[in-house]
Amino acid sequence: MSYPHSHKTVFVLDHSPQLSEPSSQPVDFDIFNKTRGPGIIPLAPVMKTLWTCNVEAAVEYCRIVYDLFPTQKLVRFITSDTKATLLNSWAQDEQSVNQLMLRFATIGQPNVRQNQKNCSIMHGLGQAVEILCQPTTKQHEIRTSFTEEASTVLNRGRIICMTLINSDAHIRMLEDCVLDTLIEHNKLTASSDNLIPIHHCELELIHVVPYGEKSAVTSSPRRELSPLLASETHVTQSGRYVAIRLVELVQKHFGLFSTTVTGIPMKEEQNASSSANYDVELLHSAEAHGELLKSDKEGMIVPSKEGLNTQTVALKWCTPKSNTIELQNCTGAHRITPVDVYSRPSSCLTNFLLSGRAVMLEQPRKSGKIMSHMLASHGGEIYIHILNTARSILEDPPSISEGCGGRVTDYRITDFGEFMKENRLAPGRTQPRDSTLPIDKSKSQLERMTRLWPMVIGDTIIFNMLSHLDPLPSLIVKEHLDNDEVLECKKAIYHVVGMESRNEPLPVPALGTRGKGPKREEQYRQMWAELDSFIRGHISSSSQHQKVLECLLECRRPAEDGSKGKKQTDRGSIKEEKMEIGETDLAVKELERYQRLTEREKHDLNKAEKSSPDSPPAKKFKGKSDLISKPSAGPQSLLTLWTNRIRATHAMRHQEFAGRLQSSGSKAELYPHMNEENGGDPASGAANTGMNINKNIKKQT
Amino acid sequence: MPCVILLDVSLSMSRPVLECESYQRRNLAIHGINVLLDHLAATNKLEFVSLVVFSSLWERLVPFTRDYDSIKTALNNVEDYDKTCIEPALAGAASVIVDEWGSAVPSQVILITDGNTGLGPSSLKHSLQTIGQRSGGEDRFSLPFTFPCKLHIVTISGSQDPELQTSLNMFQRLIDINGQGGQLFVPEGSLSLKSVQQMFRELSEKYFSPLLRVLRCGNLHCNVNVFPAPTDYDRPHDFQHVYKELFREIAICGFLDISDVASPPFISRHLVLPTSSTREKPEELKVDSEKGEAKEDDEDDTVDGRTPAFTVLLHGSLKVEGMVALAQIGEGWYGMLYSWADSKKKSNLMLAVFEPGVDSIPWLGELNHLAPMSSFKQSPYGEEDNKTPFPVRPPDRRSYSQNCVVWIKQAGLQADIQKILRHARKLPEKQLQFYKELNRVRRAALSFGFMELLDALSAMLDRECTLLPGTAHPDAALQLSHASNALRSETARDYAQNVVPLTTNFSSGD
Repeated sequence: MSYPHSHKTVFVLDHSPQLSEPSSQPVDFDIFNKTRGPGIIPLAPVMKTLWTCNVEAAVEYCRIVYDLFPTQKLVRFITSDTKATLLNSWAQDEQSVNQLMLRFATIGQPNVRQNQKNCSIMHGLGQAVEILCQPTTKQHEIRTSFTEEASTVLNRGRIICMTLINSDAHIRMLEDCVLDTLIEHNKLTASSDNLIPIHHCELELIHVVPYGEKSAVTSSPRRELSPLLASETHVTQSGRYVAIRLVELVQKHFGLFSTTVTGIPMKEEQNASSSANYDVELLHSAEAHGELLKSDKEGMIVPSKEGLNTQTVALKWCTPKSNTIELQNCTGAHRITPVDVYSRPSSCLTNFLLSGRAVMLEQPRKSGKIMSHMLASHGGEIYIHILNTARSILEDPPSISEGCGGRVTDYRITDFGEFMKENRLAPGRTQPRDSTLPIDKSKSQLERMTRLWPMVIGDTIIFNMLSHLDPLPSLIVKEHLDNDEVLECKKAIYHVVGMESRNEPLPVPALGTRGKGPKREEQYRQMWAELDSFIRGHISSSSQHQKVLECLLECRRPAEDGSKGKKQTDRGSIKEEKMEIGETDLAVKELERYQRLTEREKHDLNKAEKSSPDSPPAKKFKGKSDLISKPSAGPQSLLTLWTNRIRATHAMRHQEFAGRLQSSGSKAELYPHMNEENGGDPASGAANTGMNINKNIKKQT
Repeated sequence: MPCVILLDVSLSMSRPVLECESYQRRNLAIHGINVLLDHLAATNKLEFVSLVVFSSLWERLVPFTRDYDSIKTALNNVEDYDKTCIEPALAGAASVIVDEWGSAVPSQVILITDGNTGLGPSSLKHSLQTIGQRSGGEDRFSLPFTFPCKLHIVTISGSQDPELQTSLNMFQRLIDINGQGGQLFVPEGSLSLKSVQQMFRELSEKYFSPLLRVLRCGNLHCNVNVFPAPTDYDRPHDFQHVYKELFREIAICGFLDISDVASPPFISRHLVLPTSSTREKPEELKVDSEKGEAKEDDEDDTVDGRTPAFTVLLHGSLKVEGMVALAQIGEGWYGMLYSWADSKKKSNLMLAVFEPGVDSIPWLGELNHLAPMSSFKQSPYGEEDNKTPFPVRPPDRRSYSQNCVVWIKQAGLQADIQKILRHARKLPEKQLQFYKELNRVRRAALSFGFMELLDALSAMLDRECTLLPGTAHPDAALQLSHASNALRSETARDYAQNVVPLTTNFSSGD
């Protein structure tokens, strides 16, 4: 744990009248009159004050910090004249350049009417120590966490003070002021829960003299004044030199390094047909050049081209060839920001990258080309990606086809592709009432969707006939099913029942089977078994899922205890009974009717289906199989076929006696409802068809 | 992970072993290395090994290779040299690794020596004594390694050697200075072929065994060998010491498009190879078919090859669809699986391990907050799959993607002034832009306390007004003098209050 000083930075800016002195570096702003003919006298250059230059430099320091480290690197500002004024807090939403610009506008330039004698930078320095004792959100988080780090968190910070210094004695005085306040505040914090003692502080004193003037004090290197405080003094001229010095300091304070992208082709503003090459210098974490900084063998580290007193790595621009998206072998990505964000080449480069293109950067080496970095933007932030240039230990890997399962050719690649698409992720939020993390929801969704997921085509029938089963497979894997969805599932099952009754071929994979393969009857048996286990895998999800399985079992029951022939007969007779309605339609109608029942009735009905002979769906098959009284197994005889045909023809001509339809044997019981329901509607006994009975049930509700 | 075998070939290594006179220590060392190489050949054929020998100098006898036989051959031809100098040898091993792999690949160094640590200024004792006086740079002590590397020290020495205990302390200190793991190995009991063999077997099994994991996607799963073996994460961060252990399972959480993950940074990459589900079977098979082993191997291969493996299915679909699978590998620790092809177009399933933590890839948002798309009312990918919910945008914009003002260089200010002038000359058409730019410059001047600029601007607008050609729209002059006056007024000093266009008879027609 490094507990870096850079976590907390406090700028103390001298806001006393002496700062309204001019910086002595004139700014020519009226220079665009050449083309407007002679006779125009340019307006006199304006002069920034020392204050303006200091604010510009400090804001630039912050711009770089906030661009590269949007969180956890916090900067606060204090201005000091007759009193100290705080411009922002440690809160994340007050950490932005826009916020600062607003606050600086409120504070305005130094008030020349104030008496310099009443002003002191000490106010600001004292305040700076005080706010360093205030914990940041991150520090608070760790201190209140129940980890071992909670008690060991070190509070380190840095004070950057921009002021005018008269003498070396003045420096000592400022240092002593900070040190005394530090010791004093550390004592105070001992008795406070909200404040934390400062374990170490770095003080950077920056003495700014107007441009071209000599300074009475000289820069002094870092000295450890006490175990609590280290101090360093910088002397710089005002104007743009103070900004340059602060950019150098920000690099040192935050462990930054610079990359210069060389040879960027850009169209000329005046002459769009020609293009010239530009260089743009970028700042980023020094980690982006970790490898190179350890050993610069080819002399790629050169002095900065932006006039900074620092070094940079020159990398060559490679014009992107196409927009092909591929995964790069990327071992790190760090945010970047241009050194000179306001220049045209910089904004050309950043706009190009923000538009979504990625640029490879090449190390200019004597031996061959090496792409060592890539610039790309993600969500409006530009990153430098480090590409691995060393030999990979994964070279010459075995091909996937050489390993286990590599020779199998009928994987359901496309189906799994669809599966992956359905299981894509998207950024979500945890619902306040929901303690499950979204990612865990995703995992449980994967679990549900893979309860039966055959990997190869040859292992499955149902997943090769999805067009027939739709939408059951996609519905049943859901966590919850509503009534409509249950209905859809049942429809799908009835559809397949219909297929079977019409003896339609199943799309059984031909793979691995020589000759004819299993008989159709066997195929259907396998298919039903697979569908059964598929649905069964989900019955634990909800009672609605259970209903789908019940429906399947219902349809399967006759097939289980009867032969195919018998089944066909049954279905045939139903069809003829309801000539005008298709089988599926009938099923749907029954279902709809079932849906309309109350829970209680459904329950009764279900129970009745199992026990009582007069419940319509179950008795239908049973009753008739006895009525027809044909052998319960084996192929159909010619006689049976003939009888069935005759019977069917007859059935068309008259309506079957309801009592017989419902009876379990050849004897039909009359008025069964009389016994069942005391004082029930006697008409129900005389009901003609199953449908009528149902109507009666409805009436009773 | 690549491994350097750093073998001591000083004269002392050719001392005969007391217990069995026919062997020298060197023979035992070579025997031990062969045990390690055989172990690798049987279980981890992808491991790279290099052989470096040292005495007062060091030499790389075999560069990194997977051809373990070439190392065995080289070992047979090793000659005797002068004395043991351990410090330069470690530096040599380090440079062999860095030259080949760079400084990011985790590696291992096995230093094989007798207990003799040398004499005088080149001795290990002297090196350790002077460690505090080094100045860094060239003079730096070769430990700790500047790249992730375990250091194992294997002593070919009987426990009754008088100076052994002193040497062992020094060796342990070396491992501690490196501080990246590794172990000191001493043969148990007397020095013999058997004890050395046992020692190397222990080393092989502990540090050179393949890492077996289960790759899981819901109920689909597959046993896999992850190569090179990923290691637990153990590094200090700014505010916490982060220690993360790998789970026994690589659990797929969901899928993402390659264009959405957009080359995320990772700390390591690993091949995910399916392992035979019939690992235990070969033993049984051997009983049945004693006739030809080669044939049996073939059969075994085909059985494995024809049993469907989830990795192959996953790889195929990831490749075809251009997607990656996000997988959890530890507590709050994620990685991604994708199809990776080398230069020879041989592709395989790869696991890239991200930095631990849920915010390791900023543009994917918090990884544990990624939800299945079914949990959204409207598909985040659009009804026709023409949208993407990525990248996740940060709450505030960076300086280069917003209209910030930097006037440190003169050119910046000049460009802004020119923009105002350009619009001023095209009044009243460019009225909107003129006032927008004017206010932008005004606000920046207020923030920087640059009041001199406001006066200068006002003067400039006055002059522009006088320079207007006779053909100019009358509104232009009105607006220019209005703006000029506004800049001089008190309200111009209010950051929140914009200078607004003058309402004229002409502007009502717009």
